[in-house]
Amino acid sequence: MIEFLSYPFFQRALLAGALAALLCGALSFFVVLRRLAFVGSGVAHAAFGGVAVATLFGVPPLAGGLVAALLVAGAAARAEGSSVTEDSAVGVFTVAAMALGVVALGFVKTNVDLFGLMFGNILTVAPADLAVLGVATAAVLAALAAFFRPLLLASVDEEGARVAGVNTTAMRLLVLVLVGVAVVVALKVVGILLVSALLVLPGAAARTLAARWPALLAGSIAVALVSVVGGLLLSVALDIAPGASIILVGAALFVTSLAAGRARRG
Amino acid sequence: MNVGVRFEGVSVALDGRPVLRDASFEIRAGERTAFVGPNGGGKTTLVRTLLGILKPATGRIAFLGDGGREVPRPRMGFLSQRSTLAFDAPLSAEDLVAFSLSPGAGFRKHAEASREARAALLRVGLTEDRLGVPVGLLSGGQRQRVLLARAVAGAPPLLVLDEADTALDTAGLATLRRLVTEEVAAGRTVVYVTHDSDAMGGADAVFRVDGVVTEEPVDA
Repeated sequence: MIEFLSYPFFQRALLAGALAALLCGALSFFVVLRRLAFVGSGVAHAAFGGVAVATLFGVPPLAGGLVAALLVAGAAARAEGSSVTEDSAVGVFTVAAMALGVVALGFVKTNVDLFGLMFGNILTVAPADLAVLGVATAAVLAALAAFFRPLLLASVDEEGARVAGVNTTAMRLLVLVLVGVAVVVALKVVGILLVSALLVLPGAAARTLAARWPALLAGSIAVALVSVVGGLLLSVALDIAPGASIILVGAALFVTSLAAGRARRG
Repeated sequence: MNVGVRFEGVSVALDGRPVLRDASFEIRAGERTAFVGPNGGGKTTLVRTLLGILKPATGRIAFLGDGGREVPRPRMGFLSQRSTLAFDAPLSAEDLVAFSLSPGAGFRKHAEASREARAALLRVGLTEDRLGVPVGLLSGGQRQRVLLARAVAGAPPLLVLDEADTALDTAGLATLRRLVTEEVAAGRTVVYVTHDSDAMGGADAVFRVDGVVTEEPVDA
């Protein structure tokens, strides 16, 4: 284990994991408060279609994934107050994007690392990936910090927030766009199937123990960090897939916190 | 600042269905104005339009300051029968009121908003030890008092109550009446939707809302 820590690829993996944990842990706070677990999952799956189409046309895959993720995020935001509900809008766009991705991959002549796309490949993170992840994490955290109060107010009391002067539609769109960005840049770490879990598990685990937002936010980030770093170390120790290992640690933390929360409440 | 309101030919439709038609009337500054009428008549639609939650299909709402000159939309306090506040919101009573008073960008609470929030919460009868408790852990009556504190915190020139009296217990209703009396005495305008125009200790003006808005005589 100690030997692994001296390898540059493992150091990059740890750093990428910590950045993704910061990013997803902070966003998970709002995903759980706004009950956006399905939207997060839908955005992640839609990114698959975007990555596949981008690969077909020789465009950087992340750019394609980002466009698809933002389209679904936008569809979810537009569904507010319309006759098509948010879950229907996300459900339709998600399966359409995935189907488009499968069709596009059928025409791609080169080898595509589908397993890495679906489950992540954190051990192959390159310095350029780290730079993208670092910039995206800084940008998302800055946006969350800048709009924290209106975001929080709109997340827990939409009408009260509107009367207080908050543009709740803009706040909703902001959260969805940030989720879209997080999904795409975290793909490399945990993959499409598991990135949505990293957006839900930390906040859900912290929610079982914390009743006020400072502890909930800190707890969400802490659970994400422990999940990613712990999962990565566990994957080395047990020689298992790191993406799955990260989520399993997160799930274990959720179950433990759920039991602890119940025990505390008696 | 005293603020009155003038509705100028305001019509509102919900899902294409006209709810309020060509409403033109004035809410005088510093008075208690009651809106009465049957269920489905458009009372809540009217106050939601006044609050800016709904947009009129036609017409406009003008806010009038001293001397009757138009002023920008002022900050308004609002308390309704049914709040959209999440039952498990991870905010303390003080946070909720302070964040609502000062919802602008930023991570930190504004010190002044916190001071005003504490004062409002104590004014509605919440005890010091309840101010830091998450609203989800408060009793129903205490939560309604927190929402009442939010409505009056920071002395908004306009206080809008949408059947707020129906969600309060006897003690809460007495507190609401006392606050309304104090607000009007301080020159602020109070607007309330009710089935009983005497609910807030008597109205200075009463309007019946039933698709259209008509002023009714006030009993002496």
